[in-house]
Parts: sequence; structure tokens; C-alpha cells
Amino acid sequence: MKKKILFGTIFAALLLLVGCSGGNSSSSSKSSGGNSKNIEVVAKGFQHDFWKAVQSGAKQAAKEQGVTMNFVGPKDETAIAEQLEMLNNAVNKKPGAIALAALDTKAEIDAIKTAQEKGIPIIGFDSGVPNAPKGAVKATASTDNYKAGGIAAQHAYDAIKARIDSSATPPRIGIVSQEVNSLSISQRTGGFIDKMVQLLEANPKIGKGKVAVTGHDKFKNKVNASSAKAIIELRVPADVTDAAGKTEASALLKKNDTICVYGSNEFGAKAIINADDSVGGRIGNTEGKVVAVGFDSGKLQINAIKSDKFLGSVTQNPIKIGYEAVSLAVKAAKGQKVKNIDTGVKWYNKDNVDSKEIKPLLYQ
Amino acid sequence: MASNVSTKNTNNSNKNGSSSNSVISKLKNTFGLQQLIILIVLFLIYGLFAALSPAFRSGSTLTSIFDASYYVGFLALGVTFVIITAGIDLSIGTSMMCAAITGGVVYNQLHAPLWVALLVILAMATAVGCLNGFLVAKLKLPSFIATLGTMMITRGLSSILSNVQTETFPLRGTSDGWYKSIFRTSGDFPTGAIVLIGVAILCAIILNKTRTGRYIFAIGSNREATRLSGVNVVRSEAMAYIIAGFCAGLAGIAYAATYTTIMPGSGAGFEMDGIAAVVVGGTSLAGGVGSILGTLIGTFIMTVLKVGLPYLNLQPHYQIFITGFVVILAVYADIYRNRKKNQ
Repeated sequence: MKKKILFGTIFAALLLLVGCSGGNSSSSSKSSGGNSKNIEVVAKGFQHDFWKAVQSGAKQAAKEQGVTMNFVGPKDETAIAEQLEMLNNAVNKKPGAIALAALDTKAEIDAIKTAQEKGIPIIGFDSGVPNAPKGAVKATASTDNYKAGGIAAQHAYDAIKARIDSSATPPRIGIVSQEVNSLSISQRTGGFIDKMVQLLEANPKIGKGKVAVTGHDKFKNKVNASSAKAIIELRVPADVTDAAGKTEASALLKKNDTICVYGSNEFGAKAIINADDSVGGRIGNTEGKVVAVGFDSGKLQINAIKSDKFLGSVTQNPIKIGYEAVSLAVKAAKGQKVKNIDTGVKWYNKDNVDSKEIKPLLYQ
Repeated sequence: MASNVSTKNTNNSNKNGSSSNSVISKLKNTFGLQQLIILIVLFLIYGLFAALSPAFRSGSTLTSIFDASYYVGFLALGVTFVIITAGIDLSIGTSMMCAAITGGVVYNQLHAPLWVALLVILAMATAVGCLNGFLVAKLKLPSFIATLGTMMITRGLSSILSNVQTETFPLRGTSDGWYKSIFRTSGDFPTGAIVLIGVAILCAIILNKTRTGRYIFAIGSNREATRLSGVNVVRSEAMAYIIAGFCAGLAGIAYAATYTTIMPGSGAGFEMDGIAAVVVGGTSLAGGVGSILGTLIGTFIMTVLKVGLPYLNLQPHYQIFITGFVVILAVYADIYRNRKKNQ
């Protein structure tokens, strides 16, 4: 008899638990069945500040458009299986559209194809859905990393222009790039190099064909460093550890002709800051120091900007990424034609780092 | 199933010594009742999700539930044997992923045919099972410590063998994509359910119809008494770990077929999903009691919760939170039952 009571209790507790959890969200899932009013968002993460900002943008768009939006993401960017299950769930719910930032397109290809068969449009966001089957992804809301690299180059050039004009030896511009394989980081690096070459060549003191790009085969040009009037040196660490990054950045900072350094993501910027400590403070915004520019944010980089070590950095706009992803998804759900959106980047420095416009975009 | 129940009763009646006929029939009823109860709980949870979310009531959701159940199911079926011996195997999760990534290396880097890679997965995981069996049964290491060690070994080994590279198995539609149809046909029919139930029936036969199975129950009830009665306990106990290893290999194949990409160093935590399914299914961590049917139902309770909760727009941390309660309740039921039995 007692046993029966026990199982009765377990059973009731189970029901209660599941029932409660259902109650919490039943109001938000009530409108399902309407479908085109439902948008599922599957992100690459959830806890990180970056994804929190993406989510807040997505929420804002859902509210403005009057749709129900469900935002999910795996525990980190290695949890491919977890994201696949989330995507499967999203497809099964038959929403009007799915916004997806895929961790691994290959692992998710079945689910993407199923969505396509069921006529559920997919909108890519952040890094999107690279190599997706043709026609499955209607549009992508993401940062134009190549253009973003160019913006960093423009700001760096403005700060070093006077020094180039007065310098007797060919100036050196150093870049620390975490790697050159992933699309986003190599675009940020390549965008910076191309824009910097263009700006330097436009300077009458240097001239066309006089800028040498050295350091890595992927970006190297044919200009001979010994006859060049300006040198861009790219450094790629052997592995993605702070120690290896610091070694490469130190090598750049130790050269006397280096007048500017650029870290093309948080890792690169961190490498420069770590190396600067060990070479005795070469970077800064004052006369005679090496001008440093970065990308993304993070505690070290924000501190470096606030303490006049870094001139400034480029940040993506995660709020806009989320906002545009949901806006595109709503349009696609209605069957309207959609096209890719560049969600843009912002330049931030000491003056605006704490402003209302910039602060929500940064993470510590 | 009747045979399953009767085996356990034999053990219990042995233990109770001079139990009368009425006690046996009472036990029989209660054990039957317990499996019935968890089966009802399973259907009620399913029904509840279906009632709360119209999207849950689709065939494709059922396919998703099956998809998510395969690797947990195989892990749980195998580790049921170990738990019945009153042992534990913490290495099954990482050993499954280590075996799967080794298969990936054999296929991608050594360019072996896919069927060879799949056999390598089974062989690798079975080898880890043999090692566990040797350490626990022969060298008498506590199973918790021995398998904690092999858990770390396999986790590290998967990174070493793969050179910390992700291994991708062939996609559906490519020439080697046939293996995916073992678990789900291109028409979305969950063939894996048949495989899982087939393996479960095989496990039930081994556990209830063979001498090894009966010895495994006996070891869990009283290892010393079993040894004294002339049973080769080392062999039978080791067998439980080897079966757990082989099943981890099956889980590795199921995982590769369902999720395609295997990350190096992953799999830690999967063993707990498997063990939780076994415990929810009514197998006692104290050993000597357990059933394959219960494990199968436990697996589906776990996966219905896992797949169903997001339909209520709950975030993953709520799923883990609620699943935790289910496990605690199930373990309490186990302890409660033992206390009653000893009274």
C-alpha cells in the first residue's frame, strides 16, 4: 500500500513539474498553428554576451513585427549535436521561417533539406549557413567583415599619416591574425590589408607599387620589401594560445620601424596587449608610440582603449544582427523576396566606449 | 517478459531464503507493477506534451524522439548489465565517442571502406570494455575508479588519435551514405527503433536465458556467495563490462549516423544520460535487480523529456533541471524498495 502511495507521489510530482513548466510558456506557444506568425531562431550560443545582444535585437524585431519568436542556442560553439536537435525541433514546429547560425552545415544538412521540403524558409545570420544546399537559405544578415577590416585600416591610417610624411625610413604596419583559414577572420585581415595598401599607395611619398605585404603566403604581394617605401607584415601564430599570440606580437613590436599594429579579432588584440607589457610599453596614442587598433571587444581590449593604449577598435553590431535576422525571417515567412543584409560595424574609442550607442554592443 | 520477472524473483527468493509462495507472488506483482507504472508515466508525459503543443503531435517529432534515443538507448542497455553486478561504468560515453572518432580517422585519413570503419568502432569500444572487465573483475579495482580512469584515457585518446581534428562521416546521398539508413531511411522512417528493440531483445535473452546472465544477477546479489558456489565470477563479471563496451560501440555508430560530426574529446556526460535511463527504468544501483524492458522505457522517458520540453519553449537548462528531478525520484524509489525488501 505504501509503495502505491510512493509511486502516486512520484507520478503527481512529475505531472506537477512538467505541468508547471508548461504553464509558464503556454501563453507564448498558444498562437502556434498560425505558423507564419511564428519565427524560430537557432543561434550558435546562448550564455555569451554577444549572443545575449543578438537575442535582444531579435526580441525587439519580433515585438515590432508582432510575431512570436523562440530563441535557442547550444551551450557553446562545440555543441553541434545539441544545435542539431534544436534545429530538428524548430523544423518540426513548422514555423513561418527559421533563422539559423549553423555550427556545422554538414551535420545539419538533413534538417536543412527537410525544412526546404516542407517549404520553411531559412534565414542565415552571424556566420550564416555556409555551403547550404541551393535555395534553402533565402538571405543572410551578417557583418561584412571585409569592409569592417577596411574601416579599421582607415582609422589607423588617419592616425599614422603625419608620421609617414615625416619618417625617413619605410614605415612598417604589423598585423596579428589568429588564423587565415576561417572566412570571417581572413576577411577582416584581408580587408585591412587591401584598404591600407590602397591608402598608402595614394600617398605621394610612397606611390603605386611601393607597398610590400609580407609574412604569409595567402596575402603576400610581389613587391620586394627591400625596395618598398612601406611594409605591411602579417603574423599568424602557430596555434591559438595566448603564449603563441604574444610571441608573434612581440616580434612586431620589437622592430623599430613599426608604427602601427592591428589585431584582427579579440585574440589578435589580446596578443598585442600581452606583448606590449613584455616589451615595456611600445603602444599608445601619444607621440612616438606605436598606434594600435583592434577588432571585437573583451575586457583587456576595452581597458586598453580606456587607458589610451589602443586608438580604438571595430565592433560588430550583434543587436542589429538579431534584429535583421528576425526581420528577414518575417518577410520570408510572408513569401516576400529577401536579400542579404550587411549589419554593419561601429568604430569605438575612448570617447564613445561608454556611450549608449556603443556599450550594448561590447562584451567583457 | 514473464521470464525476466521470474529470474529476478528466483534471486530474491534465494536471498530471502524461506519465503513463502504468497511472498513470491506478491513480489512478482510489485515488479510487474513497477514496469507498468513507468510505462504509464512515459505515455502520460508524451500525452501531456501532445496536449500542450500541437507541433509535438507530428510524426516528424516522433522521428526526432527516436533519433535522440538511439545512442542513449544503446549505452543504457549495455550499462544495465554492469549495474546489475552492483558495479558502474563511467567510461561508456567517452569510449563511445573515442570509438566513433577512431572510425572517422580510419575512414577519412586511412581511406578504408565505411564498413571497415564501422567494425573498427565496435572493436574499439569492445576493447575498452575488455579493459574495464580486466581491471574490475580480475584486478579487483573498484569499478568507479577503474572506469573513471578509462573514461579519462578514452577522452584523451580520442584527441590523440584524431590529432584534435573533428571527424565528419559521409553525408546522406553520397556513395557511402547508406549507413545512415540503418537508423533512419531517406523517407524518414525510424528503422533505428527496430535495431534498438532488436538489441534490447538480445540483451534480455542474454540476461534472462543464459548462464552468464543468471551469474550476473547472482554476482550483484552476493558476489562472495556466488564465488563460493563454484561460479567463475571473474569471467561473468568481466562479461558485463564487455557487453557494456560492445553496446557503447553500437551507440557510437548510432551517434555518427545521427549527428554526422564527431568532436575530439567529447562524450563526457553521455554516460550519465545512459545511467540515468537505467536507474529511471528501475534497475537497482545496489545490484541484483534489473530489467531490460525497464531500461528501454527509462531511455524513452529521458528522450521524450529532452525532445518534448523545447516544444513548451523551455530553454535547455530547464530540461536538465527537470530531468534531474526525475532521476532523484527514481533513485529514491530504488532506495525505498531496498529498504522495504530488507525489512
